Parts: sequence; C-alpha cells; structure tokens
Amino acid sequence: MPPTNLGVWLIIGLVLGLMSSAAMADVVVVVSSNSPIAALSKVQVQDIFLGKTMRFPGGAAAVVIDQAEGSAVRDEFYDKVFGKSAAQIKAYWSKIIFTGRGQPPYSVSNTVEIMKRISANPAAIGYIDRAMINASVKVVY
Amino acid sequence: MGPGARRHTDEFTRRNGHAVTLKSPSRALIVIALMASTLHHTARADVQGPYGSMFSFNGFGTVGVVHSSEDKADFTANDFEPNGAGYSRSWSASVDSLIGGQVLATLGSQLSAVVQVITQQNYDDTYTPHLEWANLKYLLTEDFSVRVGRIVIPTFLDSDSREVGYSNPWVRPPTEVYGANPITSVDGFDASYRWRLAGVTNTLQVNYGRNLAFNFAGGSKFDAKYVWGIFDKAEYGPALIRAGYLSSNITLNDATALFDGLRQFGPQGAAIASQYEVVDKSSSILTVAASYDPGRWFVMGEWATSRSQSFLGANTGWYLSGGRRAGPFTPYLTYAQVTQRSNSSAGLSIPGLPADLVPVATALNAGLNDGLNSRPDQYTLSVGVRWDFMKNLDVKLQLDRIDLGAGSAGTLINPQPGFQPGSTVFLFSSVVDFVF
Repeated sequence: MPPTNLGVWLIIGLVLGLMSSAAMADVVVVVSSNSPIAALSKVQVQDIFLGKTMRFPGGAAAVVIDQAEGSAVRDEFYDKVFGKSAAQIKAYWSKIIFTGRGQPPYSVSNTVEIMKRISANPAAIGYIDRAMINASVKVVY
Repeated sequence: MGPGARRHTDEFTRRNGHAVTLKSPSRALIVIALMASTLHHTARADVQGPYGSMFSFNGFGTVGVVHSSEDKADFTANDFEPNGAGYSRSWSASVDSLIGGQVLATLGSQLSAVVQVITQQNYDDTYTPHLEWANLKYLLTEDFSVRVGRIVIPTFLDSDSREVGYSNPWVRPPTEVYGANPITSVDGFDASYRWRLAGVTNTLQVNYGRNLAFNFAGGSKFDAKYVWGIFDKAEYGPALIRAGYLSSNITLNDATALFDGLRQFGPQGAAIASQYEVVDKSSSILTVAASYDPGRWFVMGEWATSRSQSFLGANTGWYLSGGRRAGPFTPYLTYAQVTQRSNSSAGLSIPGLPADLVPVATALNAGLNDGLNSRPDQYTLSVGVRWDFMKNLDVKLQLDRIDLGAGSAGTLINPQPGFQPGSTVFLFSSVVDFVF
C-alpha cells in the first residue's frame, strides 16, 4: 500500500474512532422534571455516580438510582460515560466497599422502576434509554 | 515501617529452620469460607432497616500459585510471610492466597461499624484468621468522617485495598514500593475531610495509632508506636495525584547478639548500640503517586522513600505501570525498582584495644556495616494479563523478571548455601480473584 493511501485510511479510521467515542448513542442521564438541574458535565456525572460527591453542583443532595447489574443499558452507560466495563465498575466498588469508604448506589430492577422513583423525587438521578423519555423527567447529560 | 522487617524475618526463619513446614493453606481457606458463609447467612437473616438490611456482608479472596526460577531463596509478597516460592516450595500457594470477609453495620445515618477478618499466611506460618479492621465510623458531615478502633494505614495509593486482588490490575502491588511498609493497620483513630474546588475533589486524611506488638517465633519482638500520618489526594475525572507522609517509632530487636557484643566494649560500644539498635527508633516514609485511568487504558506510578536513624537503613523505590483494556482482557506492563541508600559506621575504634579483643571488634564492625547495607536492591519488569472471565471473578497471569542488584538478595528471603546475590530471577504467577 503506498504511503498516501495509508495516510488516508489512518485519517478515516481516526475520524470514525472519534465519532464513535464522542457520540452518546442511546443512554441519557435524567433527573425529575421538577429538579432545578439543567445540565451536567461528564466529570460531574462521573463524580456523582462514583460516589465522589453526594451533591449536585449547586449543593442540593443527589440520590443515585442505578440500573440492574448485568442489564444492557447499565453496561452501555458505564462504557460510554466512564469508558469502563461492568467488571471495572465492580472492581472500583470493591475498592470502595473494602476500604470502608462507601457503598455502591441503590439499584432497581428496570427502567420503569427508575422512572417512577425519579419522577417522585427531585433529588434523584438515573440513566435510561433515550426511547423511554417522557414528560416526568428531563435529560441533563 | 522500615524496610527492615525482611531481614529480621530471614533471621527468624533461619533460626527455626524448615522444620516449621508449610501448613496447607487450603484447609484454612475452607475454614474461613465456611465461616464466611455462616456470616453471610446471619447477615441475610438480620434486622431490616428502613433502607434495607442494617448489616451487609461482603467477601473477597485470591487463590493462586507462584513459581520461581531461583530454588535457593524464597520470593514472598510481603515482609511478614516467613517463606514462599523458590526454596521452600517450587510452586507456592501461600504467597498470594488469602480470603477475607467484612461485615458493615449501619447504626443510623451517621454512625457505622465495620469488622474485617482476613486469613492468609501469617508471620508465624499459621493461617489463623486475624482481625484486620474493627472500627466505628462517625460522619460529622457527609464529607467529614472520623474513625476509632483498628483502622487501615493508607501509606500508599493502593494500601487500603492491597489485599483485594479483584480491585487491582496486577497479581500483587509491586513489592519494591509496598514492601517498604508491611504494617497494614493500627489501633487508633483517623479523620478524613473531603472538599471540591473547581471540579477537583480533594481528600485530606490524618491518622494516629499504634500497631499491635508481636514476637516472631525466633524471639524477635516487633512493635510500632506513635504511628501518625498525613495523606492528601486530589482527583479530577480520571486523573489522580496523591502525597503522603507516615512516621512511627519502630522496635525490631532481632540483632541482639551483635548489639550485646558491642555493649561489651564500654561507653563507645554502648553509644554505637544505642544509635543503631532498632528499639523505639524514629522511622518515616514519604510517598508520591499519580494515576490516569480513562477506562480503556490506565497508567500509574508511585514513588516512596523511607528513612530511619537506625539499623533499619533507608531506601527508595518506585514503579510505573500501564495497561490497556481489550474486551474482557487487560494486558499490563510494570517496571519497578528499589535501591538502598548506602550507609556505614566507623564502628568501634580498634587502636588501643588489647590484642585479643581486636578480632572480636573487627567482626562486630563488619557485622554492623553488613546490616547497614543489607537493604534490598532490585529491578523488576513485569508483564501480565487480567481476564474478567465471569461476573465477580478474574484470572491473572504474570511473568516477572527480577534483576537483583550487585551483591544483593533483593527482596528474596531464606537464602541458602549456593545462592548467588545479584542474579536474575524469573517468577510466574497465576491467580484467581473473587468478590462475593
């Protein structure tokens, strides 16, 4: 393969790679539509879901509701937002649990349950498939 | 918290000889697994609080074997293991295998209690479970907590979870750095305060306590008093930097014959003995660490230097490690080294001594300087892979090439006649880590 062709393929590969990592395909982070929170940055989402803070940027308490372990939406969320596999997230929480520094977020069995809890609690935050959005929640990331 | 425990461990195992045979770790593992399952059952059966069970039980463990190419000395994972892979066992299960269980009791919104029990190869070659932690934690605010009881000493980046193999990328933390402090917990208190500024989460921790004293089978006493430390960690997204300082007063009186000998030489001998003998001697470790882990790959490094105004000596170690995730596989590469800072003493003044005492004084001076220069010197390149093959289970394979410094046995213990200091040793380790 001549070097110019190689260069073109490298650029195409790079662009595709960037596109796939930049796009957050199907999973969105949501709060109650009654929450004052409008948007969160990636690092803020990471800090909240990894238990590094118990509060939203403005100081209001945040209650994380996680999807069930092993669910497709959960695996995709941690892969897209954290770049981590289910096993890596489990390893992270093992570290926190066994150092007595905290407990993983409460998890519920399905998206319907998450929607119910989020719409009922302005402090709650969770993530769902974009297709499941309704008026009771708003997307913050 | 000196780097000296290794030598003393050597001493005591040599004195004991190998009549103290390896007890099978498997029996101990079965016992604690049964204990864990009983606890698990109990925890499940307990009172339900408003937010679920008031008690939660979690367990972790590692089962693994290590083979060393050097059959005239032992490789061990920490300074308190009396024997390991190489001389004592061609394939050793005692180096990395352990099992631990932890019960957390939530006593209201601000108070909690935790008990962690671990069984692994102890300093006396038994597998009796020991109480690693037992403390009460009180949250003054959600970011400010104090703990009282038996608590972890967070000397290094990974100190507080070094026993939880599943939470770590490697088979074991590099011994070149983590070997500088074999003590993992103290009886005392700590306080931790966390705050955020411009997106950066900063956690400051201070602690104070004392280690439980114990006697090695050979009669040597080990004790660490007035253990205090200050540790600060700053995190921004996937980036982390950390610095820490730990100080303590160490007693490790294994070389009593040497120091008793020196004390026979009047005031100058007594002065040398009191200067170097490890009895209540101030010792400290300074550490700096950084890591970057965006998920698909990671890189981390840590540097530690220890200092002691005594026979414990001083050394500096560091490592740099990186890995990349490819599906369930995470291959990694680590370089680690530890070097001693040279130390010497003029010893007893020979001129003027009666002729019959000269050989004794010369031998004592040589013994003193040997001891001062017996800190490990070694360079290790490790390549390995972690495979997350099932939920809550991983397998790791690791190959280490350890180059021992000139004239040094490195971190190896139990050197036998014919052992060549300064040689190259290959290690093969394979472990399964689990959490439950």
